[in-house]
Amino acid sequence: MTRRVPTTCPYCGVGCGIVLNVDDSGRIAWVDDDPANLSSVGMLCVKGRFGATFVNHPDRLTTPLVRRDGVLQPATWDEALDLVARRLPEYRGRFGSFASAKATNEDAFVQQKFVRLVMGTNNIDHCTRLCHSPSVEAMLQQLGSGATSNSYADFEAAGCVVVIGCDPGSNHPVIASRLRRAIDDRGVRLVVVNPRRIDLCDRAQVFLQPEPGADVALFNGMARAILDAGVEDRDFIASRTEGYAAWEAAVLELTVEQHAALAAVDAGLLREAALLIARPPAPVGHPPAGRPGTCLLWGMGITQHTQGTANAHALINLALLTGHLGHPGAGISPLRGQNNVQGCGDSGCIPDSLPGYQRLDEGNLASFEGAWGASPPAQPGLKATDMIERILAGDIRAMYIVGENPLLSEPNLHHATMAIQALDFLVVQDIFLHETAALADVVLPACSFAEKDGTFTNSERRVQRVRPAIAAVGESRPDWEIICDLARRMAPGAGVARGQFEYASAAGVFDELARLTPFLRGLSHERLDREGGLQWPCPTPGHPGSPVLYAESFPRGRGLFVPVRQGSFADETPDADYALILNTGRVLYHWHGGTLTRRVRGLLARVDTVPVAIHPDDAAPAAISGGDDVTVYSRRGRLRGAAVVTDAVRPGSVFVPFVKLNESAANFLTNNAYDPQSRIPEYKVCAVRIEKGHAARRRDAAATGALRPQGEAAIDHEPVPGHE
Amino acid sequence: MSLTVDGIEAPAEGTLLDAVLAAGIGLPHLCTDDNLAAIGACRTCLVEADGRIVAACSAPASQFHQVATRGAVVERIRRGVLELTAAMVSPGSLDRPGGPHAGELAAALASHSARLDRYPHRTRTRSDATNTFFSFHEEACILCGRCVAACQELQHIGAIGMAGRGGATRVTPGADATFADSICTSCGSCVAACPTPALSPREAFAP
Repeated sequence: MTRRVPTTCPYCGVGCGIVLNVDDSGRIAWVDDDPANLSSVGMLCVKGRFGATFVNHPDRLTTPLVRRDGVLQPATWDEALDLVARRLPEYRGRFGSFASAKATNEDAFVQQKFVRLVMGTNNIDHCTRLCHSPSVEAMLQQLGSGATSNSYADFEAAGCVVVIGCDPGSNHPVIASRLRRAIDDRGVRLVVVNPRRIDLCDRAQVFLQPEPGADVALFNGMARAILDAGVEDRDFIASRTEGYAAWEAAVLELTVEQHAALAAVDAGLLREAALLIARPPAPVGHPPAGRPGTCLLWGMGITQHTQGTANAHALINLALLTGHLGHPGAGISPLRGQNNVQGCGDSGCIPDSLPGYQRLDEGNLASFEGAWGASPPAQPGLKATDMIERILAGDIRAMYIVGENPLLSEPNLHHATMAIQALDFLVVQDIFLHETAALADVVLPACSFAEKDGTFTNSERRVQRVRPAIAAVGESRPDWEIICDLARRMAPGAGVARGQFEYASAAGVFDELARLTPFLRGLSHERLDREGGLQWPCPTPGHPGSPVLYAESFPRGRGLFVPVRQGSFADETPDADYALILNTGRVLYHWHGGTLTRRVRGLLARVDTVPVAIHPDDAAPAAISGGDDVTVYSRRGRLRGAAVVTDAVRPGSVFVPFVKLNESAANFLTNNAYDPQSRIPEYKVCAVRIEKGHAARRRDAAATGALRPQGEAAIDHEPVPGHE
Repeated sequence: MSLTVDGIEAPAEGTLLDAVLAAGIGLPHLCTDDNLAAIGACRTCLVEADGRIVAACSAPASQFHQVATRGAVVERIRRGVLELTAAMVSPGSLDRPGGPHAGELAAALASHSARLDRYPHRTRTRSDATNTFFSFHEEACILCGRCVAACQELQHIGAIGMAGRGGATRVTPGADATFADSICTSCGSCVAACPTPALSPREAFAP
């Protein structure tokens, strides 16, 4: 007899409804779509449908591990947690923690509470630092809130949808399906902005293929075209915004042609896209009275640059200029990459604010002290990328990393590995013994999404239930329970009441999160079970949730224009030695670094080698043909992959998804240069060269010496014995 | 305006098939999926409505008063349609494991005591195992079109379609292309829709 358990997909941030069908042996036998889920409306992608089997992979961690005599060995929960409880207090003041955007809101909330109360620091962050921190910074400054303004349904009510610096067909496939439905059935116009020709371009009215790093010029050029044509939304600018004059002056410094030349796009196409965005035609079924809107969707192509925050400002300025905010069929949508990256931030796993993005000011600290019996620290903590850098400076000596594998996700992995190895004490809590866990002193086995009770919050702010479908694998436990157990052992020494970490259930954790977070206050597990997923803000139990934000005003009052000018394109640009630009991204059949998808046989069978996309003009001189083994070198490392010769990439550039396959990963090449405001790394641009053939493995010393940065000890990315 | 199905009051909303299912009465509907609008291709949901034989999936409930799923005539016609459908597949091909709805044709045949050998079987033998998640066995395909609708109308991919005419009609991912060579994104919505084991998951669920 098959049991059917409705829950939420563990992969990207779309948040599709899935129904796990569990057979008599307690294993997942099939994954159904869920037509009742309002975010996915019955659609699913290959990872959602066929990618859940990693939960039963034999590599799952089944017991705690403690390093003894240099080797990770099985231990009891008491041995492992007592050891962590004994060691961590030594590192107060020199401690940092990464939370997981794959775990639940409940897990995230308990972790930040532990870090703030028991470890006494705000050094807690998560992978938003590596994906949308510039978007959040820019939206907070300009609007006063850092979340997507509208809903997926608005894509189908819009006149025009603009897909910028992202490839939904690979990383948000159900968004791609919803966009195709909007275009095919409603006649919605599509504009694509991407240095690479993505699949959706087949349906695009305008495709702009700019030089990587030229986004400010591109969007300022669009703004100039809109101003030249006089199609800006003057009422909106006058009644809803401020800072217009200074911004306009910056945009008017260059003509459309000059902006277009900087971005290396055709000025006519740039103008056509701009006018479409400003005044889109009505889609099929649009009410005759209303003005058709434009939805701006964007991904890492905007953010993962040393000028990522400026890029996001340029884009939001465009939304303010055209008035496409605050009504259905319009809005701004940063597409979130992980199932709960929205919720992890909402729940407080960010170093400069408390749950609900409440600033670390006196009033908020006092109200949390009232709830928790002790005050969170007032000093803002370190951001994730800064924590890594500060390990090498000696300021961070111990870390507690939950559901995150920085040794695949950080830039310049040789450098990141140096840092993690330099820690005195590392605790990793996860489901697999990945690259980072293999270096830990203590490894704590956590439950996967299929074994847990809780909630995820998706890219359209929809809080959705996660329900246990299978029994916990081995001795693994839900993340929040592990942290509560540890916290109870450490609480007395930290002057915190043990009772602060005693919860009867995940629903009880959520209730505390909701009590302390005004925009979640109307939600509970019980209500979500009854009504299905709901979109925050949802301040009261009778509130229906909020599909569209900013109808009347912005949280900061008026929307703020922020003048930005095109700066240098990137920290590292091509030169004679490294003549090509490396662009990184995703591939449909893997998810991010691949820790999960490499453990799904069918997905690995589809893509088992890192594909290296190169333009025919660049392939020919190197005698590279499609399918050839190639090696890509940067100043920091190298990658072995298989060539895909295609004119989908710009001449002079190479595209590589950042999944690790056959021990090769793009982040050995990428540059640990950061955007000054958000501290996001510049994953999207660095200088590389490519050679035909696979370089010898690093053990062949002659071929490797030159690659190792000076002063750094030998580090390799060969398989760690005993796993993978 | 009231609607009864086999004497049971039913909501006169949507299609007659919706009304029949809402009344808790079983009726084959091999070409209709929860996720999709009715296709109206299989004729296995025939009912007698106000004296006419109609396909319940395509008849608006608001236009009828009395619907009967039982009765010598309508049941004989449905059995005939099911026996013709059974002739489209190879003997034994329905026994193979499949997706979540793979048993629908077999269940409909059983509930109507349909003879599997009343009409000569048409033998089609193409199969495609190039996708790493599912395979396609034409010998169990009844050309209901649910997979094509799932690919086109639900996912808006359009990787698979119907090719050929009359007896040569077949489901295919492009002109003589394989699934692996096509624009298929392996979303599996076709497998989830298939009412026979024609599109069936491979051993994807054994990690």
